[in-house]
Parts: sequence; structure tokens; C-alpha cells
Amino acid sequence: MAKSGGVTRLDRRAFLRVTGAATGVAVASGIPAIVAAQKAPSFPKGTRLHILEWVSFVPASDKEFKRLAGEFGKLAGVDVTVEFINMNDLNPKIASAIETKAGPDIIMMLQNWPHLYADGLADVDDVAEEIGKRDGGFYDIVRNVSVVGKTWKSVPLAMGTPAWAYREDWFKEVGAAKFPDTWDELRTVGAKLKKKDHPLGQAFGHSLGDPNQWAYPVTWSFGGMEVDKNGKVVINSKETVEALKFTVAFWKDCLDEGGLAWDDTSNNRAYLAGTISATINGASIYFVAKRQFPDIAKVTNHGHMPRGPAGRFYSIQGQGHGIMKYSKNQQVAREFLRWFMDRPQYDPWFAANDGYVNGPTTYWEKHALWEQDLKLVPFKEAPRYGRWPGYPGPPSRKTSEALVKYILVDMYAQAIKGMKPEDAARWAEAELKKIYGA
Amino acid sequence: MAAPRYGSPLKRAVTFYIPLVLMVGLTLFPFYWMVITSIRPDVELYNVKANPFFTLYPTLQHFHDLFELTMFARWAWNTLFIAVVSTAISLFCGLLAGYALARLQFRWASPLGTMIFITYLVPPTLLFIPLGDVVKTFGIGDTPWAVILTYPTFLIPFCTWLLMGYFKTIPREIEECARIDGASRIQAMIRISFPLAVPGILSAGIFAFTLSWNEFLYALVFLSSPQQKTIPIGVFTELVRGDVFYWGPLMAGALLGSIPVALVYSFFVEHYVTALTGAVKG
Amino acid sequence: MADQRIEPILAERASAAASVVPASVAVAVPEARRPTRLGQLLEREHILAGALLAPTLVILTLFIAYPFVLGIWLAVSDKVVGRPGNFVGLQNFWVNVNDTIFLRAFQNTFVYTFIATALKLALGMGAALLLNHHFRFKRIVRAGMLLPWIVPTVLSTLAWQWMFDATFSVFNWTLMNVGLISKRILWLGDGTMAMGCLILVNVWRGMPFFAITLLAGLQTVNPDLHEAAEIDGANAWQRFWRVTLPLIKPIMMVVVLFSMIATFADFQLIYVLTRGGPYSSTHVFGTYAYEIAMRAAQLGQGASISLSLFPFLLAVIVFQLWYIRRSD
Repeated sequence: MAKSGGVTRLDRRAFLRVTGAATGVAVASGIPAIVAAQKAPSFPKGTRLHILEWVSFVPASDKEFKRLAGEFGKLAGVDVTVEFINMNDLNPKIASAIETKAGPDIIMMLQNWPHLYADGLADVDDVAEEIGKRDGGFYDIVRNVSVVGKTWKSVPLAMGTPAWAYREDWFKEVGAAKFPDTWDELRTVGAKLKKKDHPLGQAFGHSLGDPNQWAYPVTWSFGGMEVDKNGKVVINSKETVEALKFTVAFWKDCLDEGGLAWDDTSNNRAYLAGTISATINGASIYFVAKRQFPDIAKVTNHGHMPRGPAGRFYSIQGQGHGIMKYSKNQQVAREFLRWFMDRPQYDPWFAANDGYVNGPTTYWEKHALWEQDLKLVPFKEAPRYGRWPGYPGPPSRKTSEALVKYILVDMYAQAIKGMKPEDAARWAEAELKKIYGA
Repeated sequence: MAAPRYGSPLKRAVTFYIPLVLMVGLTLFPFYWMVITSIRPDVELYNVKANPFFTLYPTLQHFHDLFELTMFARWAWNTLFIAVVSTAISLFCGLLAGYALARLQFRWASPLGTMIFITYLVPPTLLFIPLGDVVKTFGIGDTPWAVILTYPTFLIPFCTWLLMGYFKTIPREIEECARIDGASRIQAMIRISFPLAVPGILSAGIFAFTLSWNEFLYALVFLSSPQQKTIPIGVFTELVRGDVFYWGPLMAGALLGSIPVALVYSFFVEHYVTALTGAVKG
Repeated sequence: MADQRIEPILAERASAAASVVPASVAVAVPEARRPTRLGQLLEREHILAGALLAPTLVILTLFIAYPFVLGIWLAVSDKVVGRPGNFVGLQNFWVNVNDTIFLRAFQNTFVYTFIATALKLALGMGAALLLNHHFRFKRIVRAGMLLPWIVPTVLSTLAWQWMFDATFSVFNWTLMNVGLISKRILWLGDGTMAMGCLILVNVWRGMPFFAITLLAGLQTVNPDLHEAAEIDGANAWQRFWRVTLPLIKPIMMVVVLFSMIATFADFQLIYVLTRGGPYSSTHVFGTYAYEIAMRAAQLGQGASISLSLFPFLLAVIVFQLWYIRRSD
């Protein structure tokens, strides 16, 4: 990337924008905007900005974020703190911050959290609309998880996409030159692989990431859904039962039996240890392999989620930044997000992620990094097939509740453990009805 | 001495050494596992075939990483400071309250004892949000005091009750003799009962210290800045990266966060064991 | 009498204690006669008790009274994060009793608590009796025994997770190489098995504290009593049962009680090892309340799950209190 040239140019632009933001203050105190703009960064001295981020799966991403935050601090004369917490421990921090009205000014929002925490988040329509207009519009998924009612509650940052990581060498051995395109084909190939002691791997335990990456897309691709467009529970359907039957068969024929005990980290380990031949995951497996297990990286490629009778689906994780309603530094927070999401800043951060995330707008599909490593192409294309938890119903608190209660995951896990598919679907229906109320 | 005597060496082996070795082995195996993991190169960690019990290529890289990637030294200091101060506060309160509840006749003894206990019953998973409000009101968020002052809420009840138990084991007559000899109520308490309760004080202290040392939820929520974190929070939240665990540094952190404490404890344990034996005999 | 070495330390602590006392009573006492008047006042047991309890009550009132009341309010409200809650009576509890996951968690909590506590007590007592002997390396063994309990729980549990890992389990590796099993055991892959593993880790972690505390208790037992019993012809088992146990019972009861409460409310260990999975079969109150209150942001519902424990704990405590008081 033309980083160095870009950044200097940028600095000036950023500087202007920041001082522009401060004009409000300046005008109020009677100083003409132009004079203010020529002065050094103009937030009141001692202004602080506290940002709470997740610990990214890609270390370079955190580093770059921190660097950029520091740069903004210097430009705007703001004291910026970035706090990193692993994703599973963000919820209690957020809940406590909103309830006590104290804490970070900006907090990372994952999945459909903006719906969960909408009442504690400031509106960010201005910032979000500006980015969307400039960069060719947001993806639907991004819009759906970030817009509550008609208001943007989070400034979209990126999307975390999964795809199948698989061992090309082993797949070739059983006659699959490329990754199978349908679930049935994958099952045939997978069965051969498992016979050769190279099972596929999929988690069905309780963790935020991987188990849901099976439960949601597979349900959809067989035509099942938790609720319809109006939020009516329709999980107990012929389609869902088909998806369950398929999963149980797939489990027996193709998958590693460890999966019921797996969490998000297990398939990474198993894949890198060579005990499984394929698994659904973000690009993190591939990145670790490139760094530490180059032999495995060489024979690793990525494939799309297979198609089912109803099509191809991905469950995509939205990532965004919410500005807290209680924050006294909302203006600074807005300026920071506006500045950070602007192309010159976002570009190096996006590049540091190296294909682990997709940009929130179509603009970033054209980024050069996608050309550099063709193995990452499925990740680039995944958002086209991406849906949000609760699809096709509107995202809401209820969707989140179903997600965190692992209802779909447990529906599959129980079927795998021997519950009749019909009963599993009925169980899920009962649980979902308690949440959706109908 | 309290130690029982044994007959033949064989009998001693069966009733003593074999159980002892078993117990120590089972207790320390996971620990051994942490040690091995912390000195094992990453490539071996992911090798299913490699013998998991030892490594031929030990490395200190993970320890190095721990200090390079994180502010471990600072966290260790924070944890120590927090644990020492909150333990001191809790012991002080618990000692006085425990004595009062165990030894003194007053109308409210029973309900007060129960009330103190009840505060221990509400799970932290429920308490931490309203407690956050309190922390905010006192303006101590993101400072060590946020946890130093909240830990006693669950430490004091324990210390109080444990010490109550100890005071019960000390015969009342010893104190009464002293009073007949002219000691005041307070003198009898300080000079007679407190010294006899030293083992209890130490074991309550050890308990309180360990709980503070380990505490997760309050520290997670009330402390934010990287330089304010404690060992469990810092190591866990920064070295578990989504779906990639940094096993080596994680285990290195676990070891460095516990061995020094164990050494200090062993000193205390020996101390109170001898102290006590003396006390009972004397 | 007490060991000489400790006397000064204690005296110091005691003087610190004494200095607190005047502060709370001083107002009413004339300057000159304070020592005697104060002394007299403190001779009265209820006044002394008030003074001794003051610091505890102050701290607990400041920090816990409000959260406690609010916690109860949450349980009877429909509070969600960011919105004010409305009073809904016992509706949350009604939802709970109709929730299969809650009922499972309910059952799990009791199984987990009782089995783990019983094992911790039995093994801890055994360990304490062993450690009460004289043997070489006694110090180092006693220190080593404490290690499991000192390692930050979240981190030691991660080590266990690695040991139970479906792919890398060291237990499986060993059993396979010894030839005892031909197919790996999925330690955390099944509800019952996973519960067993959780109990195992809990016992491993909690047993040392039992051992050390009971050891302290054993030390208070006057050896003369043992000798007397031995002369009367009691064997080792009888001596333990008739002499030792009654003497350390008060301490034992307190340790058991606290351990039970801590185990009832356990959260970290399960949260790290299984998060309630597979298929919600290992949830306990602590983890399920956390999922609902934190992940689903339903503070009211979560609080009601936490509070469901309260009546049981209260019953245990009332019994305990009655028991301890009775021994007077």
C-alpha cells in the first residue's frame, strides 16, 4: 500500500476535519472558524477518549488500531486510551457501563449487539450515512445489525466472515479437486475422508462463534428458519427436520466426534495438528499456519459454504463501534470514528487484517489485498450470501436472546446425541416461543 | 506432639507414605502440566504424536513473550497490592466481629451474625452491576481502590465466621482465669484470646488473600486501563485471542502468578503450625 | 500460653483495634476521665460488641446494602440493560420454573455442590491427617499442596481444558499408550461426563484449602487427649471419630458451609471449561444467570435465576447458626 504518502496527505485532511468539528466550540466562543482551524487541535485541553475494543483474532489488527488511535490523539490534542478485552468478556463491561453510566466513550459492538444495547447507545446517523454514501453503500447484513428502528446505533466497522478451511492434498486423495459445492457432495467426500481418518471438524458446544456457524447457515440452506418475516416462530418445519437429519448423518459419516465438546478454539487446534481435514472458520487458522506451520498453510485452501436445497448461506458477524449515550465526549468520539473510517486510515487497518475481515461497504471488495492471496477469495465473496441471526425476521433483542441461549446449536447437538429430529425441532419451537412470545 | 506413632515401617508405608505420594502426585499433576506447556515450543504443542510429558527442546520464549506482549510485571504488583490491603482490612474487621459474635452476650448477636452472613449469599454475578454504581459514586472506578474496597464485602463474612469458629474452640475458662487475675475485658480479649486464634487468623488470611488474588468478575468490570489490571484479568483477557489461545504465555503467567505466593504461604503455614502447638502445650 | 514470637505482633494489631474503639464512643465521654469511663463502658458486653462490630457493619452497609436491595428489586422487575424496569411480581420466577434449561441448571447446581463438597471434605480431611505427621520435605509438600488453590482459577481451568481437549487430551494419550483404551474418551462431549470433569476440577482446586484449614484445626487438638484415649484402648479410627472430630467440628462446619456457598455460586470454572455446554447440560445457576443477564442483557430475569438459590442458602445458614450457637 502507498502508506507513507497517503498518510501525510491524510493527516492534513484529518486535521481539517477535526478542527472543523471544533468549530462548534469556536463559533460559540466568538472566534471565526478559519482562525480556529489554523490553530493547533482544538478540543479543550485534557479531553479524553476511552475506547473499548475486542482483542482481535489477528494481532496486527490491534496494533494498527492502537497506532491510529494514537495518531488521532496527537492530531486532535485528545488523550486516547484503547482498552482491549477478549470478546467473551465484553458483555459484562458493556452492561455495567450502561447501567452505571460510566466507562468507555466508544465500545466495540459485535453480532447484533446494537439491538441489545440500543437504549444505551447514542445515535450515529450522521457518521454512518456519510460513510455509506461515500463508499458505495453498506451490505444488508451490516445495516440490519446496526440500525435499530430507523436509527443507526453503531458505526459499522467490518464483517467477520467464515469459510471452510480445507486440506487440498487430502481432498484430492479422495478425488475432490475442489471444495464440494453442495452439502450432499460434501457429505460424500467427507465420508471418504473420515474413513481415511481425516474427518471434518465442527463445534457443537457453547461458544459464540463456530457452533453458530453451522446451526444458522445449515438451517437456512435447507429452507428452515427460526421466525418468519413478521417474527412468528416457524422453526418446527419439514425443512428444519431435513436439516437436522442431514446434520445427524453428516456427524456420523464425516465429522470428528470431539465436536460436542468443542469451543471456538478447538477446531483451530485440531486442524493445525492435522487431525481434521476441513472446518468452518475465519481466516485465523490460515494465518497461524502461515506463521508457524508453513507446510500446512501450503496445502490449505478455502471453500464456500455448500449449497442446500434453499441455496447458499453464511451467518456473518457484524462488527461496529457504538458511542455511549452517557459519554460526555460524544463529539470527539464521532470525530474519531469519522476519521478512522475514512479511507486513508481504514486502509492500513484493513490491510493489517489481511483478509480476516470484510469492509462494511462494497468499496473494500476492490482492495488490492484480495488479489494478493487468492486463497482468501471465498472470504471476500461470502458477504453476498450473508444473513443475520434471526433472518428473515428483523434483528431484535429477541434474536439475540435466541442466539445467546444457543437454541439452534442445542437443537442440533441434542439431535446428534440421539434425540429424534422431530423432537429436537419441537424442543426448539417451544424454546423460541418463550422468547418471541408466539 | 499431635503426630500419631506407628509400628512397623511396612505399616507406615501403607498407611502413610503411599497415600501421601498419591495425594501429592494427583494434586500436582496439572501443575506439572502447566510447567511443561510453558516451556514447550509451539510447534510441539500442536503435535498429537509427541509425548506430552516432557520436551526435548525446552524454551523460555513464552516467559519472554509474557513480559514483552503484556504488562505482566505491573499486573503482578497490582494484584499483590490489592490482595494485601483488602486482606488486611477484612482480617481486621473479621477478627473483631468474630470475637464479638462468638464470645459476647448481647441481644443482637444472632440476627447480626445471620445478616453478616447473608451478604455473602448474593452471587457476585448479580451484585456487580449495582456495586458498579457504588464504585462510581465513590469515584474510585479504574483505581485499585475499586476492588480493594469491594472485595471485603465477600471476605469479611468469611473471616468473621471462620474466626467465630476458632474462638469457639478456645476454652472460655482460659479467658475467665485472666479476668480473675485482674485483666479487663479488652485485655483478656487481646492478650489471651487473640493469640490463641492465630492459626485461625492465618488461615482466614490465606483464604482472603487467595480470593483477592484470584478474583475475576469485579476486577474485570471495575478496572479498565491496561496498567490497572490484575494477573487473572490481564493474562486471560489479553492472551486469549478469540479462537487462538497463547498457551505458552498463558501457562507461564499462571506459574509466575502462583509459585511466589505458595512459597510465602508455606512460611505462614509452618509458622502457625508451630505457634499453635506451642500454645496448646503451654 | 501463646508463643512468644507472636505476642508483639498481636499486641500491635490489638492496639490498632483499640484505637478504633474510642472514636465511636468518644462523643459522650468527658476528656479527662475517658480511660476509666471508656474502660467501664467496654466492660459492658453489649457496648464492647457494638464497638467491635462497627467496622464490619460500616463497610458492609456502605458497599453491600444498596446492591443487595437493588439485586432483589431486579429479580422482581423486567429490567433490561439500558431501560428502567417495571415491577412484575414473581413473573420472572414463573418463567424460570417453566424453563427446561433452568430446571437442568437447578439440578446440576445441587449435584455439583453436594458431590464436590463431600469429596473436598473427605479428601481434605485425609490430606490434613497425612500432613499432620512428621516427615522429610514436610514444608515443601505443604507448600506444594496449596498450589492448585493459588493459581488463578481462570488460568488453571484453561490448563484443564487443554488436558480434557478432544484432540490433545493427555489422559487419552496416556490411556491409549498404556493400552487401556483404543478409542479416545470425549471428556467434555457428554453431559454426565462433562459434569464429572467439572466436579473433578472443582475438587482439585478446593481441596487444599480444606486440608490446610483442617490441619490448623487438628493442631488445636491437645495430644494429651489422644494419649488418654489410647490408654483406654481406643484404636486410631475411634480416636479420630471420638476425640479429634468433635473438637474440630466448629471449624469444619464453617469451612464446609463456606465451601458450599462458594460452590453453589461457582461461575469461573464452568464458564471457562464448558460454558454450560454441550447442549446446556452443564449449566449451573451462576453460568445460566450470567448468560441471561449479560449475554441476553435481561438483568431482571438473570437476577431471578441467581436469587433462586437464596432460600436454600438461607436454610443452610439458619441451621448452621443454630448449630454453632447451640454448642455454647
